[in-house]
Amino acid sequence: MKDVRDPGALVRARRIVVCVGAGGVGKTTLAAAIALGAAREGHRVLVLTIDPARRLADALGVGALGNEPRAIDRDVLGRLGVPEHAALSALMLDMKRTFDDLVERFAESEEARERILGNRIYQHVSDALAGSAEYSAMEKVFEIASSGEFDRIVVDTPPSQHALDFLEAPQRLLEFLDSALVKLLLHPAFAAGRFGFRIFQRSARRVLQVIEKVSGMAFLEDVSEFLLAFEGMSEGFRERARKVEALLTGPQTGFVLAAGPAAESVAHAESMLGRLEASGVPLAGIVLNRARLWPERGSPPAEIPEPGMLDRATESLARALEALDERPADARAAASAAIAAASEYARLVRRDEESTRSLRERADRLACFYCRVPELPRDVHELDGLARISAALFGGRSAAR
Amino acid sequence: MSPAPTPLLDRRLVIVTGKGGTGKTSVAAALGLAAARSGRRVLVAEVGRDEHVPRLLAPGSAPVGYAGRELAPGLTVLRIDPFEALGEYLGLQLGVRPVVDLVLRNRAFRQLMEASPGWRELITLGKVWHLEQMQLPDGSPRFDLILVDAPATGHGLTFLDVPRVVGAAVRAGPLRKHAGLVEAMIEDRERTLLLPVALAEELPARETAELALRVRRDVGIAVDRVVVNAVAGAPFPPGLDDLDRLLAKLPEATALEGLPSAKTLASCAAHLRSRFELNRYWAAEIGRMTELPIVELPHLARGIRGPLDLERLVPALVGAPRANAA
Repeated sequence: MKDVRDPGALVRARRIVVCVGAGGVGKTTLAAAIALGAAREGHRVLVLTIDPARRLADALGVGALGNEPRAIDRDVLGRLGVPEHAALSALMLDMKRTFDDLVERFAESEEARERILGNRIYQHVSDALAGSAEYSAMEKVFEIASSGEFDRIVVDTPPSQHALDFLEAPQRLLEFLDSALVKLLLHPAFAAGRFGFRIFQRSARRVLQVIEKVSGMAFLEDVSEFLLAFEGMSEGFRERARKVEALLTGPQTGFVLAAGPAAESVAHAESMLGRLEASGVPLAGIVLNRARLWPERGSPPAEIPEPGMLDRATESLARALEALDERPADARAAASAAIAAASEYARLVRRDEESTRSLRERADRLACFYCRVPELPRDVHELDGLARISAALFGGRSAAR
Repeated sequence: MSPAPTPLLDRRLVIVTGKGGTGKTSVAAALGLAAARSGRRVLVAEVGRDEHVPRLLAPGSAPVGYAGRELAPGLTVLRIDPFEALGEYLGLQLGVRPVVDLVLRNRAFRQLMEASPGWRELITLGKVWHLEQMQLPDGSPRFDLILVDAPATGHGLTFLDVPRVVGAAVRAGPLRKHAGLVEAMIEDRERTLLLPVALAEELPARETAELALRVRRDVGIAVDRVVVNAVAGAPFPPGLDDLDRLLAKLPEATALEGLPSAKTLASCAAHLRSRFELNRYWAAEIGRMTELPIVELPHLARGIRGPLDLERLVPALVGAPRANAA
């Protein structure tokens, strides 16, 4: 994405920013920090999270969020440098509720709606059916994007095992509804319990026989009834899923991949990059969160102290410490400890640089930005900490390459 | 809070849970090693697409697969693949494996299963139940202790909650009966234990707290401790706790030989101290928020690469947990 050189350009050029990444890399916080950056630039911003751990609410200091956008206090925004005409709201997605809304919208009739919502299978699986959690999230994004209430939406994606599942969720849901077995279960006679295996497709029949033997006929009847009620709404649903997909891969949207410096986190990010590329998603940038940065410009020296200098370095530092008003009891021991600490920290910084090199190179090849957000002395869980991360993303040294 | 938790290795089934990167696989492997050495017959069951345990226990060994293999005396490792477990289950139910294989190969069936929620968890736990029931010819259990390295999904609990949900959704039939057996195994507070593994950082700390809360509220599984992994050691030698502040007092122009500037030295020390303090803070928070005793494991600078590294985790792991001083 050549027009997007940094997060600032991203929120100027794109209406929707989707943050992806493995669980635990601080994706939720980054999404909130990007949203704050966009609000500071004068936009009306919504940040949407699907996180079951409700961390965003904590980070934004607004307590529990509901399934509707909740505005962050004007005074707080003012303190954070968000201009008067801009706004920042947060929404914590209630997946079940969103899916219920979907059923209400697309059900053919009052009766069909009641039948779905009251079905025992639906009640138990709507949280998990065919990636419906992921689908619900994207559905909500679409709904809000269409409402025009916000001019920027930042999305924190669900922490699924395969973090890009949500992209494929609409497709999978449709495939599921289209599959031969489901079609079979959709046979009205089946739901009525008059299923006599008078079915032409022998393989599907065999499969159903197996399922029936194990789960019992009653279960299949419930499934059938559920699917039957569902089918009536599948056209509206299908159309909707297509629109959602178009929105996500279209020119209004940019994806940001969040990663951590640990080797396994980098490996995870790389495999995700591969999948993002394959699915034609517009990747805008990579953010390395909690990176350990060297306090000076450039990389740390290869050795601390310089080779062969240990005695003289310790001596000179001990002398400097002796000269302090509050001199340490044992200046030499303090000097040694300080040198060991610098050497250890330099090792950690080098290790992070090493482990993330491939990501940096990949960002170059893909012409997307690469930002490092430094590890903060205190983990962020309040707006002020968020502001610091936002500053690291939208200006200052950590946004530079 | 029960005063003296059952020793970890005296359980029949320990389900190790935690987010990716917390080191739960290392914990499962280290426990397996310790239990096998104490003369128990141990099984470590991995769940998921990849195998990680064999690499830790016997670097360079071939994959163990669904059938599993003994990697050390008394220590068997296997990986539970849901589709293989489903094949085994259906085979046992129907008694005709060729039919089952046909069904499993059926494209529509696979499609349906790919899209259907819950069954992977159920069948995986079903397999664990089956392994737990296995006996030697003399009637003693095939495995004294089974350690499950649970999947690193958003909520480890979804995994354990499935049998209950299936029990509620399915009205009758063998599936319901089997879900009931699995549920009873999970809720057996004498024999089964959920062992959460966390890091002493904000995110895992909060998630572990939520896990503990949901366990108490929704799932009847026993939890008696939290393992806090990779806890950093003190950054400075004894008596020099304020080293970073001391260094910060050095004038900026201090001439040092062969070293970065005084400011940089102070900053490095401050980073290390802050890392350490955060670690201490969140380790304590985990105990406070979960109201559970914690077991701290040391951070190993080299990482965990083989059985020798695992050995270093064992003493703390099998020892008594530290009651939290709330």
